[in-house]
Amino acid sequence: MRWIGLCIAVLAQGALAFTDAQVRAIASHGPWPPAFTADPSNRVSGDAGAIELGERLFFERRLSVNGEFSCSRCHQPERNWTDGEARALGLSRVDRNTPSLSNVRLQRWYGWDGANDSLWAQSIRPILDARELGMGAQQVAKLVRGDTDLSCRYKKVFGALPAEDEKLLVDIAKALAAFQETLASGRTAFDEFRDALVRTDPAGIEKYPQAAKRGLSIFVGKGSCNVCHVGPAFTNGEFHDTGIPFFIEPGRVDPGRHEGIKKLRASRFNLLGPYSDDPKRTTATSTRHVVLEHRNFGEFRTPSLRNLALTAPYMHNGRLATLRDVVNHYSTISPDRLHSDGEAILKALKLSERETQDLVAFLESLQDGGGSYRRKGFAENCIP
Amino acid sequence: MKRWLCWLALLAPAAQACELPGGAAQRVESRKHTVLYRTVPLRVGEHFTLEFAVCPAPEAVRVDAWMPVHRHGMNYKAIVTALGGERYRAEGLMFHMAGQWEFVFELRAGGATERLAHGVRIE
Repeated sequence: MRWIGLCIAVLAQGALAFTDAQVRAIASHGPWPPAFTADPSNRVSGDAGAIELGERLFFERRLSVNGEFSCSRCHQPERNWTDGEARALGLSRVDRNTPSLSNVRLQRWYGWDGANDSLWAQSIRPILDARELGMGAQQVAKLVRGDTDLSCRYKKVFGALPAEDEKLLVDIAKALAAFQETLASGRTAFDEFRDALVRTDPAGIEKYPQAAKRGLSIFVGKGSCNVCHVGPAFTNGEFHDTGIPFFIEPGRVDPGRHEGIKKLRASRFNLLGPYSDDPKRTTATSTRHVVLEHRNFGEFRTPSLRNLALTAPYMHNGRLATLRDVVNHYSTISPDRLHSDGEAILKALKLSERETQDLVAFLESLQDGGGSYRRKGFAENCIP
Repeated sequence: MKRWLCWLALLAPAAQACELPGGAAQRVESRKHTVLYRTVPLRVGEHFTLEFAVCPAPEAVRVDAWMPVHRHGMNYKAIVTALGGERYRAEGLMFHMAGQWEFVFELRAGGATERLAHGVRIE
């Protein structure tokens, strides 16, 4: 009944008339921000000492084999934790676009192919990847054991330094994860509109720009973008073939999710493995039940749309330079570009110029004020 | 009189005797089987468990779901546990997209497999 009254309220102001179903869909994209819940698989999730250690490690250049790169080389705070490159550049060029770390704790799968099922496992991957930071467990362990400040902080968070290098590496990744869990985007113009809609506040509804409202109407209506970009984070966290060519270079393809599931199953760092701190493996449901199918080839993870305007270029390989390019991609997509045995989800939206501008205006309204992260000075030393 | 009652009992569909304790349930029927199932409120992108009963109990049960219009199934395989009698629990299901889904109960009995489908809409 409240929804009906709400629609009448919207109509009375001469604004767009959302259907009841669209209003429910819009409401489902909030509230924002979601409450923090600790990761049961990471015993230092939410721990202040671990967050501080993780933040130091995130900007620590000695965590790369040449001592020149840190995680922040590709995950730059001022670019919403991306790098502006089409394909990331570590020690060498990698195959995919750098995904944002904003709201990363809300994900089920990590990486474009979901090859990891926890933030801490995903944090190990670039450390060991020869194209990115190029380290080994032994080198990471040597760094921590040999540095007075890092080893002091490690002991405060985890206890005595372990004898096994790999166990120390996993703990370092868990501290990195604890820090990254704090990277959350703030409230946006859309959130203010959504909340005004839910509490039936005509003045609040009116503040949201008309172009963004029209774009939102396409998002939850004609465009059906919310079929995959669902919920407060605007993602279902799963994988789709969006018609972006997966050739990396002549003769070499990116298999996407198909290879990701294989890597996940083979990883001793997955949530079913020995390094999860959750004895009941309550967070391992997805890992336990995930299936590998031929259609997974060329599928990539649905990204969140929050702060999207700060993360250009777009798609798994950075192929599209602007938000307008992304909208045009879905507006003109040909079914011939999609797997014949894959999902039958996408069809060309055939948007007009104004509809394209409106949809971009809506996507831009998902941007927060920015600048919520302030890097610490790290002046003080650890006192044992 | 007793003989007539006995015949009536044999002729009655299995549905009449089928129960899923714990409240209202969805019902799917065929000539051979009745399936009663109940889920918690379903949300896109969240794993859920399906409690169900199959009457009469088949030799083997599988549960799956798919989106007929989109031509794809779930990204996860449900694991079915027999709870005794005619009751079962399927774990690990997830509807990863909004829209029209269909549960499929695959029942194997007497050397034949029967598939019972039932639609469910997810917003």
